[in-house]
Parts: sequence; C-alpha cells; structure tokens
Amino acid sequence: MGGLIGAALVPRCLAASPPDAPRVVSLDYGIATTLLALGVVPAGVVATVEWDKWVVEPALPPGVVDIGRDLEANLELIAALDPELVLATPYVAHLTPSLERIAPVLTITIFAEDGKPLERAIAGTRLIGDAVNRAAAAEAYLREADRILDRCRRRIEALNPPPIAFVNFMDARHARVFGRSSLYQDVLNRIGIENAWTGPTNYWGFQTVAIEDLARGTPSDMRLIAFEPILPDVEPTLEKSPLWRRLPFVEQGRVSILPGVLMFGMVPSALRFASLVVDHLESLA
Amino acid sequence: MSSRAPLIACALTLAAAGLTWVLIGPDLIALTSPSDGFDVDQLVLLYSSLPRAVTAILCGAALALAGAILQQVMRNPLASPTTLGLSSGAHLALAIATLFAPGLLGFGRDVVALCGSLAAALVVLGLASRRGFSPFALVLAGLIVSLYCGAVASLLILLNEQYLASLFIWGAGSLAQQDWTIALSLLPRLAVLCGLAALLIRPLQSMELGDAGVRALGFSPGVIRICGLTIALALSAIVASAVGVIGFIGLIAPTVARLAGVRRLGSRLVWSTLIGGALLCLTDALVQLLAGAAQDFVPTGAVTALFGSPLLLLLLPRLRTMAAADFQAVPAPVLKSRPAVRTLVLLALGVAGLAVIALLAGRTPDGRWAWTGIEEWAAILPWRTPRIVVALAAGAILAVAGTLLQRLTGNEMASPEVLGVSAGAVFGLIVALFVFSAPDWGQRATFAALGTVAVLVAVLLFGGRSGGLVPERVVLAGIALGALLDAVVGALSAAGDPRAFLLLHWMSGSTYGVDWNTTAITLALGSVLVLAALMSRRWLDILPLGAGATTALGLPIARVRVVIYGLAAGLTALGTLVIGPLSFVGLMAPHIARELGLRRAAPQIIGSALSGGALVVIADWVGRMAAFPYQMPAGLISATVGAPFLLLLLGRRRSRNADS
Repeated sequence: MGGLIGAALVPRCLAASPPDAPRVVSLDYGIATTLLALGVVPAGVVATVEWDKWVVEPALPPGVVDIGRDLEANLELIAALDPELVLATPYVAHLTPSLERIAPVLTITIFAEDGKPLERAIAGTRLIGDAVNRAAAAEAYLREADRILDRCRRRIEALNPPPIAFVNFMDARHARVFGRSSLYQDVLNRIGIENAWTGPTNYWGFQTVAIEDLARGTPSDMRLIAFEPILPDVEPTLEKSPLWRRLPFVEQGRVSILPGVLMFGMVPSALRFASLVVDHLESLA
Repeated sequence: MSSRAPLIACALTLAAAGLTWVLIGPDLIALTSPSDGFDVDQLVLLYSSLPRAVTAILCGAALALAGAILQQVMRNPLASPTTLGLSSGAHLALAIATLFAPGLLGFGRDVVALCGSLAAALVVLGLASRRGFSPFALVLAGLIVSLYCGAVASLLILLNEQYLASLFIWGAGSLAQQDWTIALSLLPRLAVLCGLAALLIRPLQSMELGDAGVRALGFSPGVIRICGLTIALALSAIVASAVGVIGFIGLIAPTVARLAGVRRLGSRLVWSTLIGGALLCLTDALVQLLAGAAQDFVPTGAVTALFGSPLLLLLLPRLRTMAAADFQAVPAPVLKSRPAVRTLVLLALGVAGLAVIALLAGRTPDGRWAWTGIEEWAAILPWRTPRIVVALAAGAILAVAGTLLQRLTGNEMASPEVLGVSAGAVFGLIVALFVFSAPDWGQRATFAALGTVAVLVAVLLFGGRSGGLVPERVVLAGIALGALLDAVVGALSAAGDPRAFLLLHWMSGSTYGVDWNTTAITLALGSVLVLAALMSRRWLDILPLGAGATTALGLPIARVRVVIYGLAAGLTALGTLVIGPLSFVGLMAPHIARELGLRRAAPQIIGSALSGGALVVIADWVGRMAAFPYQMPAGLISATVGAPFLLLLLGRRRSRNADS
C-alpha cells in the first residue's frame, strides 16, 4: 500500500522540473519531499548521501547536488548552483542572512514551541506550492493526503488496535520515543491510534529513554513499533537481554520493526508513516 | 592524627545505601511476596536496578583503586584515569573500532579499550618524562592527550553524527543496565586485578623510600612502576569498555581518603576503593532520583564530572604537597638567536603566499579540483575571503595568547585550552543557546565574553587565594573548568537535544558563517590586544626567569600576572569564538616561533602570530576541501594535526638537548 501511495503521489520519472518552476535549493529533507510531491526536483538538497537511510521514500532523483550538512551547508556551492529560491527551516536560521545574499529565502516552520507539526506542515505545503508556482498542485496534493488519512482512519476503526509506542533505537539500551508535539502524534490523533507514550517530550516531540522506561506507565497491552535505521548490534543484544525479553510487549510478541520514515518531515512523511503503520496493523490482523 | 577515612567511607556508604533503599526498597519488599503474573517493577528491580547498583559500586571501586595506584606510582596527587587521559583514550579507541573495524569489537571490547588506554598512557608518559614526571607536567600532558582524543572523537561524531549517537551516550557514561551480564563480567576481572594490586602493596609502599631504598629492599623501581601502571590501565580500560567514561571518581576518592588522614598505602588503597564504590553508587542513586522527578535523561558519568570538577577546584588550595620545586621554569632564553627581522619577513611572505593559495585553490560542484578563474571570483570569493582572513586573525590571536601563557607560567605545555577561558566562552555560548533560540554573532560574542570574564574572576579567586596567582593553580583550575564543560556538553548531547549538535558545531571551531562584520570586529579587537601584548614585552622577557628574578628586577609580580592573564583571557575569548576551544594553535605556534630562533618576547609574539595564522588558514582550507561539499571545522582539524606535531616537536627537542 505504501508503494501504491508513493506511486500515486510522486511522479516516478522526473527527468527535470517543469519549465515554470524556479530553481530551488532545500536545506531540509522534509521540504525536499514536499517539493518532490509537487513535481519539482530541487537543484540541491542537504546530505543527499543519507537520504536513503532517513527518508527512504520518495526516492531522490539522480542529479540532485549534495550541498553538504544542513547546519553548515556549502554556501560556495549553493552560490555556484545559482538558485532562484532557497527553502529553509528555523533550525538553520543562522544561515538565513548568508543565503539571502544568494537568493530569496523562504523559511518553513514545522516544529515550534506550541507543537502542531502536521497543521504547520499542511500550511507549509501551501506556502511552498505558492513559492514554486505549484499552488494548484499543492491543493490537490493536500486533498489527496486528506483522503488517504481519512481512509487510514476508517481502516483503524475496523482494526481497533491497542495503544502503540513508536521508537527509534539509539543503541541496545536507549531509544527515542515519540509523543506530544511530534509529527507522529498528530498523525496518530488524525487516524485514531492511541499513543502508548504519554510522557513529556522535547521541542521536536521525542524523549530519549532507557529501554525499561518503555514498560513504565504504559498500558499493559501496548505494541511497540521501532523504525529503521537500527544499528547492527542492537537486535542481537536485545535478544539476549532478560529484561527486554520479559517486557510484556516483547514476551507476547507485540514488537514490530518497520522501514525508516523521516520523523521530522512534512506531509509526505506523515502519509508514509500512516500507511506503513496501518498496512502493518492490517497484516497482523 | 587518627584517620577519618572509616568515618567518611561509612557516611558515604550509609548515604548510598539510604538512597538506594529509597529507590528500590519498596520493590525489594514486594519481591518477598511474589505476586502472580507480570510485574514491571519487579523485572526492572531484578534486571535493571540491582545490577545497576552493583555495577556502580564495582566501577566506582575500580576507578578509585586505579586512581590510588596511579597516584602512588606517579608520585602525583592529581593522577587518575581521568586526568591522565586513560579513559578518553579508551573512549576514542572504541569509537574508531566501532566505525572502521567493528570486527575488532567482537574480538573483545576490553582489548580495544585497553589498547586505547595504553596508547594514551604511553603518549602522556613520553611527554611527561622530559620534565622528570613532575606532577604538573604529567597532568598537563594527560590533559593534552584527553583534549586530543576528545577532538578526534568529536570529528568522528560530526562526520557520522547519527551513527555515533549511541557512542555519545556511551561516552558520557550511562550506568543503565538491562541484565547482569556487565556486572557479572566485571566481577571476576576486578577481583583478579584487586588481588594483584594487594600483592603490589609492599613494593609500592617501598617507593616512598626513593629508588635507592626500593633497591635496598630487593625490588626494582622500574618493574614496580610498570606493574602498578598495568593494573591501573587494565582497571580503567575495563570500566570504560563496560559503562563508558565516568569522570573524576578515580581522582576524588583517593583524594578524599588522603585528606581524611590515611597515611599507609595499604589502607589508602582499601579506603579509596570503598569510598569510590560508595561514591559512584551514591551519585548514581541521586541521578536516578532526580531524573525520576524531572523525567529527564542524565548519564551518571557526566554527573560525577559535574560534582567532581568543582570539588577539584575546592581542593586545589589544600594540595600543598605539589611544591613549587616540582615546577621548573623553562631554561633561560638562549642568547644566540638568528636575526629576527629576516626570519619574520620570510615568514610573513610565506603566510601571504599561503593565503593566496587558500583563496584560489578549490573544487567545482562535481568535485573536481580547480584553480578558481577570474570569471568566478565575483560569485565565489565573497564566500572564501572572510573565512581566510578570519582564520588568519583567529590563529594569530590564539598564538599570541599561547605565547603569553607559556612565558607567564614558564611552562611550554601551557596553552589557552588549558587556562579554562575557552571553556568559559563555551559556557557563555550554552547560556546564549538556551536564552535565544538562534543567537546571532553579537549575542554569542557577548555571552562568550561574559563567560570568559566569569571564568577569569573564578580563576583569580580560587587560584589567587593565599599569595598571588600561582601558575600551576590557575592551570589546574582551568582543567577543572574544562572538565565541567565536557560534563555539561556530554549531558546535553546524551539527552538527544538537537541543540547539542548546534553547540558541537560551535565548539568544533569552524570559520563557517563568518561575515565581514565578524571579521572586522575580530581584526580590530585582536589588533588592540596584540599591540598591548607587544607593549608588555619587557615583562614577558623577564617573567620566564622565575618569580624570584622578576621580583628582584623590581616588577610588581602580582599586578603583572593579572594584566597578562587578562590579556591572554581576552585573546582566548576572541579566538575561541572563531575556531572553538579545542584547537592546539595556542600551543603549537609559540613552539614554531621558538624553533625558528625567535627567542625574545617581541619577535616570538610576532612570529607565533604569523605561524598561528598560517596553521589555521591551512586547517581551514583542508576542512573546506577534504570532504567537499561537507565541511570539517578548522579548530578540530588543527587539533588533530597539531597534537601529533607537538609530540614530534617535543621529542626532537629532547633528543637534541640530549646530544648537546
């Protein structure tokens, strides 16, 4: 299903952007996925070498220039790409004055003190659509996204799944668990899944916890979903750990590992997250 | 005087036991009445809390024993796994193995960690041997190696930030356990090493009689030292490989034992070990209690350093055993020196040529090497020029700071990194980061300057108590502050706050993001301070002759020291803002100048300013080009290249001195 959604929303063969789209450089993976969803191939994106590890889908078309790491994007190189528009986030606000010397900068805010990343991602998609002459495509994409999330919600109603905790393993002893203020939480609210983790989270909506904390204060029937990438030594170590093995969700086989989803992304990542999770829950039913 | 060690050990043990009981007591009681079905708390008690408490006790005891042995072997009250770089050596070895040869870890984490500790120890001893293993030189050498290992590990994290995330937590020393594996694997190893240490008590005790006395008792001093060192190394490496870097327990516990009045070595080893175990257990219980309330994630290893480094500051005035006799001035300046003007002109020409190359040699978007043609200058040079100018300026500024410090302390291993002022600047940056979500240069500079002033005042207060600014105290106060900084940054990073990465970027020292305003301010302030340093050249010529000579020549030594420290602090803050607290430029450049035959203060200041500028320009160019389009920070590059360079330099100087 995830593949189908990707095929429906992202044109597969993007040799080049349509002629009326400006040359764009994106300093954020989430913004880059939105550009691709609107049919615009950015000229440059940060850290393209790690795209397949953290974003996975949509795939990054070949020929997109790697402009270095987000906090220290290569300005010399961005200048050489001669973009008409630079898309950035508050995370790289320290670069805005420099980037403005190259091209106009549009800052898209997804994560802020008051949370609501999905709402902000939807508003951001419209902003990006306007900026790259794809306003109609943005509206169409958001309508389609809405339909997909509605469908996910109906499928979840039929499944009535237990509360679920969503994590990225840091190592065999620690994990980032996602909760309030995370993109995941907003999607869960939208499609009607209860998050098993109700503890406090940081600005980006996650909390780094020891493995055992996942069994504290969480419902006894919870399921754990871990997203890739997972370091190679984590799974073998966990398999040997008595504490891990006897946690209720492990002992009763309610642990799943799903392919990577950009946890700090925009609407494309929200859709990928929703469809991966719903598909998986259906496959279990 | 009867020893108070049993009292202290009992108090610590009671406190540790009390807190641990608060943590796990109710669960422990519940354990006796087995409930039916699954009980998370019981599981956590059995497989997390209990092994965690046992691991804490074992690790604390092992580190304390290692520290006590090291202090005896080195005849140095400040020796410990932390201050000798053993823990950071193990940390770096594990980081490198994780990234480049994961197979080695399967072969044995302990072995990898031990190799790292051993390498660190060899380097530290090599550096310290030429100063007759004076306590001061040894700890300084340990600090240099620690900084170096930290710099390389940071570079690895920057290049692989996501991949090394777990190492981050590891580096900060989390004691979290999920079964008994680690506790049970530690137990036999530590038991064997403790047994060996017990066998060594008599020979170690005999070392207090001096080498002749040792031989008279039928022991070989060299063999005793090597045996003691090996045991301490093994203890540190095993702990580092099991739970990570636990800062300062190995220094604090033996110090507490000694200050409590334990005289005999045997009792000192025993009490240090017990105090260390109780202390780490107590700290860990505190961390768990506080973290439980704040629902936060704080690694115990960072917290021990948070406690430990201020305690070290407080202990400094009491460490009178480290007599001034241990602390030798650098040999008086050699009178025969080459014509300074010609050397300086040649040096300046070389630096100018280097700057032009750095400006024009670059890479194209597809990664090819190319000279930047005139037609591209308008697009490319506005980005490169300020970076090169500011690199030159920052290098020169830190080089002058280093020259001042080396002349002031009469120690050729002194440098701005060691003064603690760079650490202060970064503390200011941390505050700025939490006050403003994205502080600009002006805000960062203001807070860094405030941090610098705060550290300077603290150093003057702690180091200046009782009889003026004693150089070794100031430097050790700086070490403690640097460790405190590491602890804070470690805790922030381990908590997974993405702001920690922003901080790491600043700390790594990149010329990235400087503009002409920054460059102009740096140049202007730097020029004023360097001119002031040149104007105090007469003082600087006299200071290395020692306090006695200085006073005899009629200089108000206390006031002179305050002025020079102030200058060096200002220069350090300015340079740190540009290339971070880790670069070794302030250490290297004065040596290069001296190697070039520039011995008197004024030529050495100018020569080291030029050399320092050149070093940072090269480091910046390598950082911009080596991993293009990714950029590596000049500060870390210069640290990773600079430290081995310094070792070569020192080694060469020693052999030449030996020949002549």
